[in-house]
Amino acid sequence: MSALTLPSTTRVRLPSAGTVLALVVVVLVLVAAIAPGLLIDRSPTAIDLKATLQPPSWQHPFGTDDAGRDLLTRVIYGARQSLGIGLGATGLAFLIAIALGFTAALIGGVVDAVITRVLEVAFAFPALLLALLVIAVRGPSLATEIIAVGIGSAPGYARMVRGQVLAVRQAGFVEAAAALGHPRFAVIRRHLFPNAMRPLVAVVTLGVGQSIVWASGLSFLGLGVPPPSSEWGALLDAGRLHITSSWWLEILPGLVIVLVALSVTALGRTLQNRLGGASR
Amino acid sequence: MRKPLAAVALLASGALTACGGTSAVADGGNPTTGGTIIYGHVQEPPCIFGGWIQQAYISRQVLDGLVTLDEDGSVKPWLATQWTVSPDGLKYTFTLKDGVTFTDGTPVDAAAVAWNFDYWENHGGNGTAKVSIDPYYKAATAVDASHVEISLHKPYPPFLTLITQGYFGIQSPTAFKARTEKENCEKPIGSGGFVVKEWKHGEEVVLTKNPDYTSWPATAKHEGPAIVDEVRWKFVADGVSRYASLSTGESHVVYEVPTVNWKDAQSRYQTIRYITPGKPVSFYINTKVGPFTDKLVRQAFAYGADRKSAVEAGFHGVIPYEGNPAVSQATPGYDAEVAKAYAYDPTKAGQLLDQAGWTAKNANGIRTKNGQSLTIKLVYGAGFIFTQEGATVLQVLQEQWKQVGIDVTLVPATQAELWGGKYSDASTFDATPSYWTSPSSAILWIVWRPSTEASPNGSNRSFYNNETLSQTIQRANSEPDTAKANALYGQAQKIIQDDAAGIGLYTQNSTYAIAPNLKDVWLEKSQGEPVFSDAYFTR
Repeated sequence: MSALTLPSTTRVRLPSAGTVLALVVVVLVLVAAIAPGLLIDRSPTAIDLKATLQPPSWQHPFGTDDAGRDLLTRVIYGARQSLGIGLGATGLAFLIAIALGFTAALIGGVVDAVITRVLEVAFAFPALLLALLVIAVRGPSLATEIIAVGIGSAPGYARMVRGQVLAVRQAGFVEAAAALGHPRFAVIRRHLFPNAMRPLVAVVTLGVGQSIVWASGLSFLGLGVPPPSSEWGALLDAGRLHITSSWWLEILPGLVIVLVALSVTALGRTLQNRLGGASR
Repeated sequence: MRKPLAAVALLASGALTACGGTSAVADGGNPTTGGTIIYGHVQEPPCIFGGWIQQAYISRQVLDGLVTLDEDGSVKPWLATQWTVSPDGLKYTFTLKDGVTFTDGTPVDAAAVAWNFDYWENHGGNGTAKVSIDPYYKAATAVDASHVEISLHKPYPPFLTLITQGYFGIQSPTAFKARTEKENCEKPIGSGGFVVKEWKHGEEVVLTKNPDYTSWPATAKHEGPAIVDEVRWKFVADGVSRYASLSTGESHVVYEVPTVNWKDAQSRYQTIRYITPGKPVSFYINTKVGPFTDKLVRQAFAYGADRKSAVEAGFHGVIPYEGNPAVSQATPGYDAEVAKAYAYDPTKAGQLLDQAGWTAKNANGIRTKNGQSLTIKLVYGAGFIFTQEGATVLQVLQEQWKQVGIDVTLVPATQAELWGGKYSDASTFDATPSYWTSPSSAILWIVWRPSTEASPNGSNRSFYNNETLSQTIQRANSEPDTAKANALYGQAQKIIQDDAAGIGLYTQNSTYAIAPNLKDVWLEKSQGEPVFSDAYFTR
């Protein structure tokens, strides 16, 4: 940061309307994921063969699908899986990233060199292809999708963690703690870990949005959660066939994915600004 | 031999025929010769020929059969101009058309035909061809260059009809023996209207016209080599893209039109819907292991879901419901009465489950017996037997079964899993739906022949060994009187239905949409294979 930068006013500014809206969306999705029954009293699998492919109306705000199922209900109930994949995959990715990043940065030397090279190769490999590889080996399921997306996105995060640890390690307070004779593990736990990870909180949040989009992409390709799940990507996949005749089946779940990913990302950015940011 | 083009134009006015209904979009214009037909198919087979219907579709373009099936179900000449059957029904003597050569220049003679039968039957050449004629087939011998005699162990009147299937395409033994397995697989040498020029894996097979074609079937719409120069047989697995390719002009013919687009297709293109004879898409019910060992539970399962409405909704009224689990309505010998059984009756389903002892219910409303909940594992081929639309039908049924207290788990299986044997063992599933095309009710023998240790039957996926059924089918297979044979086939269907060893769902169909300026694409009757050697463009 340049010495000429004026003091930031972010800390006293009220959250923008966009941030509030994003927060509302995220809260709604969280409610949908935890207790979908609070938002709607229908069943996501209840069929009505007399009301198939109905366009959006007051009764069915998102319309119905080819089995007469209410699409809004399906979107709401799908939140648990979509968000679950987003959170689970990002969590897994960060666990892998922390293990690799800390090991590389703290041990250094040959270990660092090996881990760094491996990460560079993995990073150069398209993440989605990496995910497809995992699915090819394990077969499609919810757990596989979490593992696939998690492993796919881990290399990027690991590089970031390693960079953060290296940077914080040079900081005066860490050196001071070490000089004062604190045990190495205590220094890592009390000083290094929290300070290295703080800026990554925002990245985690951004990662959740990204993972939701990836998971939807995989389900869209028919590689995700099996039916009759209403995971959002699976809804997109199912709606694709109807895109020319029943647009709502494709457009509305698609908009929901966009809105949620945008909201999570907007929150992530806000957090990033407040926590000081982390650079890749 | 070739008729002038004017005659072709006259023939072309005959529009398209196939069972199930047709429509044609009037499009004037003059017939032309040459050009390339781009055809959008769904699945790419491992070889051009083989025992899978997807292979029959494409091998039909390259390989000719001995005989073919006409619209009225009668057997007509192809490579064989005529044939005689001995009075005891054990010897078929075919007279071959004169002067026909394979595209490698060798003659299509009796020795070549006999070699092909031997190859299918004794050398693993074609598993489906083999089971179609087993255990009746005895031997094929060349009487002289133009007469081949096929002898049977027992009379088998469906024999002629069965060999009209694409699995029985005749290849050049000379080329087959001289070349590598890969060459034979990718570019089999036949005497057909087209020759495989190139196979770009994952993309297309390029077929070029055989300019020396002389062996068109009696059912052909013109005499002479193919009118177009080339057919590009593309593999477009995605239904949306496949159908869209027709409107963008990227293809001229597409297979398996998504049913949601069928009405649109009918208004814009020529369409053909062919209901496949043979086993329809029906459930095999595991009678050996699990809850379905109890007939009452099987029957409750059949009553417990509105299969007819689910099929009509899921396929937008395009694909017919088929209540007969054994053979489809397009099959000779089909019993329509049998198809009426087990109309949706959730009350009856409940009573049967009560009777079977599944009286208690858990918190989710699923029936239980001795602490076990009534859970059914339904394994289905996702993406190759069941399209997305078919999967919706299963989801509808799943929800209805839940209402009567049966918890059905849908397990989508890939082709590799299903055919690789992951779900072959009786302990791995409770029900699995699939089809098996055949132009004869003799398909019952392939599917329902009891498994014995000496002769296991992997096709009997219901693990249903019923000696009375077996005897009935065998009597039907050898009965020379068609009416009597059909009555026996009907009895066999009734046994299967009464015992709920199978449960009907819908007919297997082939749907095609064809650009208005491409005429005389037709489907052969036996399996609905598209025929392009008579097709021509208009300008």
